[in-house]
Amino acid sequence: MNDFLNQIRLVADWLTSPAQWHGDDGIPHRLAQHLVYSGLSLFFAALIGLTLGLLVGHTGRGSFAVASVANLARAIPTFGLVVLVVTVAGLSTTPVLIALVALAIPPILINTFEGVRGVDPDTRDAARGVGMTEWEVLLRVEVPMALPLILLGLRVAAIQVVATATVAAYPGLGGLGRFIVDGLSRNDYQLVIGGSTVVVALALVVQVAFTALRRVIVSPGLLAPASKP
Amino acid sequence: MDHLSLELAEGGLTVLVGPSGCGKTTTLRMVNRMVEPTAGTVSLRGKDIREVNAPELRRGIGYVIQHAGLFPHRTILDNIATVPLLLGWSRKKARARAAELLELVGLPSEMAKRYPNQLSGGQQQRVGVARALGADPPVLLMDEPFSAVDPIVRAELQAEFIRLQKELHKTIVFVTHDIDEAIKLGDKIAVFRTGGKLAQFDTPERLLADPADDFVAGFVGHDRGIRRLSFVNAADVPLRDGPVLPVASSVASARAVGEPWVLVVDAGRRPLGWASVAGLPEGGTLADVPLAPLGHTFSLVGDSARAALDSALLSPARLAVGVDTHGAVVGVADAHELSAGPADTAGTDADAVGAVVADGAGGGIG
Repeated sequence: MNDFLNQIRLVADWLTSPAQWHGDDGIPHRLAQHLVYSGLSLFFAALIGLTLGLLVGHTGRGSFAVASVANLARAIPTFGLVVLVVTVAGLSTTPVLIALVALAIPPILINTFEGVRGVDPDTRDAARGVGMTEWEVLLRVEVPMALPLILLGLRVAAIQVVATATVAAYPGLGGLGRFIVDGLSRNDYQLVIGGSTVVVALALVVQVAFTALRRVIVSPGLLAPASKP
Repeated sequence: MDHLSLELAEGGLTVLVGPSGCGKTTTLRMVNRMVEPTAGTVSLRGKDIREVNAPELRRGIGYVIQHAGLFPHRTILDNIATVPLLLGWSRKKARARAAELLELVGLPSEMAKRYPNQLSGGQQQRVGVARALGADPPVLLMDEPFSAVDPIVRAELQAEFIRLQKELHKTIVFVTHDIDEAIKLGDKIAVFRTGGKLAQFDTPERLLADPADDFVAGFVGHDRGIRRLSFVNAADVPLRDGPVLPVASSVASARAVGEPWVLVVDAGRRPLGWASVAGLPEGGTLADVPLAPLGHTFSLVGDSARAALDSALLSPARLAVGVDTHGAVVGVADAHELSAGPADTAGTDADAVGAVVADGAGGGIG
């Protein structure tokens, strides 16, 4: 128990030290770097994952390929993938980004696909029957109905990316991983635990942000009925 | 679908009925191009439906399906406003129209802001009908719209639907597997047999009176003789005066009639009940005699011969009592008289506007 309190004090001291709050080694700068890597990776992963997921979910063509990607993604250790890409392609920004994108695509793709494919066939039939074009069926019915799952996929991907982007520090790219990598090499325990805390906090913020987003953009009609008349 | 040719009357309700796998749903879905016929043509108001693109065609045809198929993420009002919004109406105008339709299908305005998952199956089905009426289309396609609700709600929806159709005079194609529903709702009924062959296309009366073959007779059911009476007006039933006596008559006059039961009426000739002649006291008037209940009477205005027959079967004297609008007895008839020779009433053909002609091998999901 005392040990635990000591660690908290260690983290608190580190976080409140003025040195952490300015300069290239400060938390704000590292956080900004981290967010740029994560944001970029997530953006490209969403672009690819959402497009493919919507397309395959709507047409039903390529379902098998998506299912295969899902199984493959479950089998590959995420950290291993990043290390592999960096080892093969060298230590620079692009391979790290590619690895993070590759990491983020499966949860987005699979959940988007499942969300669209899971739309009640009667609802889809009705949408076509009242005269919606295929685009209208997709954008006005399938996407809004798949939104809870689409957001789930994005959230899982975002948290994974935020956590895994720490490896960007290995090739010397900065980000919050810098604290951990430097701390480990210098045997500076306070630095390691302080950096980890910031990463965990960021993951929690992402989680909370998605929960809030879900509350705002998912139709109440898709949640459990509040009251029967 | 095999060499099917149907002409549907404008403003009429045509029911497609048959066992599952007979192609009735496929036929319906050919009208709005949800299924494309492999050969043949479907024309609507003299125009081949393939002349317009499918979504545009469908916006002009109301579409109601079995489980309503409402959009769960939209409020009831926005569900009903779907087609007007697709047609490019302003949101305000579309919602005003939707509010009108909500009332038309008998739902309270508080439901406008609710979501489909807060409504019962019957209520959802009403919303489905309202959505189909969104842009006031001349033609409605209804695919087993009342099959998924319990029998009580179904009867309610059917009655309401009949009322609505009287008001709106839409040209309706209605698919069901329930022959009773077909007879209740249809102006004309097309009976399909498995494999997409049309077995008979006729009015309900003709279908019951004169089934084309054993398949239709079997499908219509063994009690078609009784159900046929539903289409005979009670006013056309031959009545006789029968053993009717005012309540002030003497017991002796009741005996003098020479029948086992006497119908006792009040001063306004309204029926009070049946008196058993065998159980009459020595003297006095019929006012002192215990009466057996009437069962029920039938009205010469509005009731069918079927209601009259039921009235005969429930009466202790086995006589149906016909009353006028004031409830006064007009006459009586027994079961035999009621079922004797109701004239065949041929259906009137309105102008044919829709025709479905398809041949060759179409897909068949009934």
